Amino acid sequence: MGLKKPGARTGRARAVLAVVLAGSALLGGLHPAFADEEDDQDRAARWKQLQESIFPHRQVLDSGGIITVDAPPRALDAALVPVELHMAGNKPLKGVYLIIDDNPAPMAAHFVFGPKADPRDLKLRVRVNAYTNIHAIAETQDGQLHAATKFVKAAGGCSAPAGPDDNAALADIGRMKLRLMGDFNAGKPMQAQLMIRHPNFNGMQMNQITRYFTPARFIRTIDATYDGGQVFHLDADISLSTDPVITFGFVPHAKGQMKVVAHDSSNATFDHSFDVPGTPSG
Amino acid sequence: MLAMVHASAAGESGAKVAAVAAPAEPDGFWNGPVNDPVPGTIKGGKVIHAQALAALLKHKNAVVVDVSNAPRRPENLPASSTWLPLPHHAIPGAIWIPGAGLGQPPPPLDQYFRERLAKATGNDMGLALVLYCHQRCWLSWNGAKRAIQFGYRNVYWFPDGIEGWRKAKLPTAVVQPEVTP
Repeated sequence: MGLKKPGARTGRARAVLAVVLAGSALLGGLHPAFADEEDDQDRAARWKQLQESIFPHRQVLDSGGIITVDAPPRALDAALVPVELHMAGNKPLKGVYLIIDDNPAPMAAHFVFGPKADPRDLKLRVRVNAYTNIHAIAETQDGQLHAATKFVKAAGGCSAPAGPDDNAALADIGRMKLRLMGDFNAGKPMQAQLMIRHPNFNGMQMNQITRYFTPARFIRTIDATYDGGQVFHLDADISLSTDPVITFGFVPHAKGQMKVVAHDSSNATFDHSFDVPGTPSG
Repeated sequence: MLAMVHASAAGESGAKVAAVAAPAEPDGFWNGPVNDPVPGTIKGGKVIHAQALAALLKHKNAVVVDVSNAPRRPENLPASSTWLPLPHHAIPGAIWIPGAGLGQPPPPLDQYFRERLAKATGNDMGLALVLYCHQRCWLSWNGAKRAIQFGYRNVYWFPDGIEGWRKAKLPTAVVQPEVTP
């Protein structure tokens, strides 16, 4: 945009208008807003844009009592917003999507459940860059999409530093812990909390010493299997918080091993096996 | 008239500011949390609020610079990931220079900011220069301080940010960030 000379006000206005038009075309018809009241309209337009981009040619239905999403309405730390997904369990589920509407990479997590999963409760911590809607979408085995939504207020999560120093954050990358919650009863669902040490650098954090942006390095997939049977597969990217913590349900039919394998964007693989029951904290 | 408008705008936001005590100005650039309460003043520059700014832009030549952060697409983000940054609303005519308000920008970015301002003002150090980002955001305070250090004599800091601008029901335009080093 060329708007350099003092006195070139008209030219500047034209240049900006051109950018506005180009922006609208690129961003699927979003128009410049002129007042606060348009915020709701903006959000609705954004959600429409995301649906078309993430679920092209598919209909996203309302939650229909199948899924709910919970998060603090005003998050204390935008880089660590706890989100809980609750699924009623009244319909068999293929998986769950977590979408943070206003994040630049809105698709925060996509879980696909395996035969060993208890797909009723999931908890994770995410980065939120703005006042935004969060959408949780359950995909049923028969391919229907059901969405629940929650509005969250937080600011600054995407550029908050991962920690005081990048090297410290990378020191024991990939270390895992698994905390079993509740009592083990063969054949009964139980909850487990997985913690993975990983800075999950999103490329927008500045190294306080070098004064350059720390290159993105983030967890792309996590697979959890129990005695060889899939519990879940997770696709994620830069919206997961530093040191991801994921709470999930599974059904152990006997004492066995939970194996967790994570891949990150630098092609590193981290894996760990946990005895169930037996290791209270890995 | 202008003074009256200014006073009422200041009064409005003054009530809000009173709830959170405004910190004193730091000696140098602010390197603490970006989204934190900001001072009520800037040495060597002027604080301006929405209506007064709108009047200024109507009657005077001014260069408006938005120093908000911009999302940066990680190079190693898989092609299958959804990358859809929100459209960025700005004061119409503003130049968006992400990073120019960091406490310690990388040296090439600092240089870029200096040259970009020179170009935008046509090397007129007396031209009105307006720096803003978001409400309760230090980036614009740093950006304004930097412009003052460059030698601009007519620097306005608009601490209410784009939120204050929109709250005053003033028009915005969607802009793209400048590609900075």
